[in-house]
Amino acid sequence: MFNFFSPTNIFLILSRIQKFINSIFFPILIVSLVFALILSPPDRIQGDAMRIMYVHVPSAWLGLACFSAITVLSILAFIFKIKNFFYINKSLAPIGLLFTFLAIVTGSLWGEPTWGTWWVWDARLTSMMFLMFFYISYILCFKFIKKEQLMLKVSSLIAILGAINLPIIKYSVDWWTTLHQPASIKLGVSNSIHSTMMLPLLSMLLVLVLYGALIFLMKYKTEIIRIKKKSIKRL
Amino acid sequence: MMSNIIFMNGYGIFVWSSFGLVLISGFILYLKTRKTLKKYEKEFLLELETLPEAKKKYVLENSKIANKILVENSKTN
Repeated sequence: MFNFFSPTNIFLILSRIQKFINSIFFPILIVSLVFALILSPPDRIQGDAMRIMYVHVPSAWLGLACFSAITVLSILAFIFKIKNFFYINKSLAPIGLLFTFLAIVTGSLWGEPTWGTWWVWDARLTSMMFLMFFYISYILCFKFIKKEQLMLKVSSLIAILGAINLPIIKYSVDWWTTLHQPASIKLGVSNSIHSTMMLPLLSMLLVLVLYGALIFLMKYKTEIIRIKKKSIKRL
Repeated sequence: MMSNIIFMNGYGIFVWSSFGLVLISGFILYLKTRKTLKKYEKEFLLELETLPEAKKKYVLENSKIANKILVENSKTN
């Protein structure tokens, strides 16, 4: 079963997917930006400032999703001893860091006109900042720890510790009184967001997912080439 | 119409900065990632070139990855 996860197989599949994403990315980006910045209506209370939601919310979702994937893959890699999962994690981490950083900064840009402040030590904002620190330490561990076994152990530990922060981020707005609003979009429950805003939000999510996938594919291909380069003389 | 899109009733600076930041940082990461990928592809091909002819032929016949990188780079060069 795990032959499917061999670097060669994955490399060839990734190259095809990368080409496909390259061909559809720009048309989807343009259409999504037109919807988000021009066609979608302003919010009744927040006015046009609400448009920041179209980049803030998908960035936050993807920042969380990347770390969740890193945690799951770290645990699986430990159980099944699949080193390939660590290379996937190494490729995912910078993307997750970028999205978390963007969620924090765009949130700050949204906070100033709506809350009247760039930053508060609110549970949601603080836990997101912690997530960013977990990403940074995860990436630094790959960069600075040279012994591979130690690096794998430390990175897994960071991933598992960071996973404790994920439910805190998700439920911080329910557990504590925060300036940050509660979730407007919940799976399986009717949403408090109108379809004219939901459509641009989902299309911007698609753009960021495609972008993240593109970066991941390139980073993962780089990892595979790096490994193959080391073993080329042994072939 | 145009000024509405640009100024967005006073919120333009916040909205455009947010979208601009996402696009610019995304573009920078894309360029950096692509540059690293190309660098490793070149290094891989250089390593391949240093092998004796028979070994190089063997690698190209047995490694799909080596083949793919060679084909992709010969297209771009």
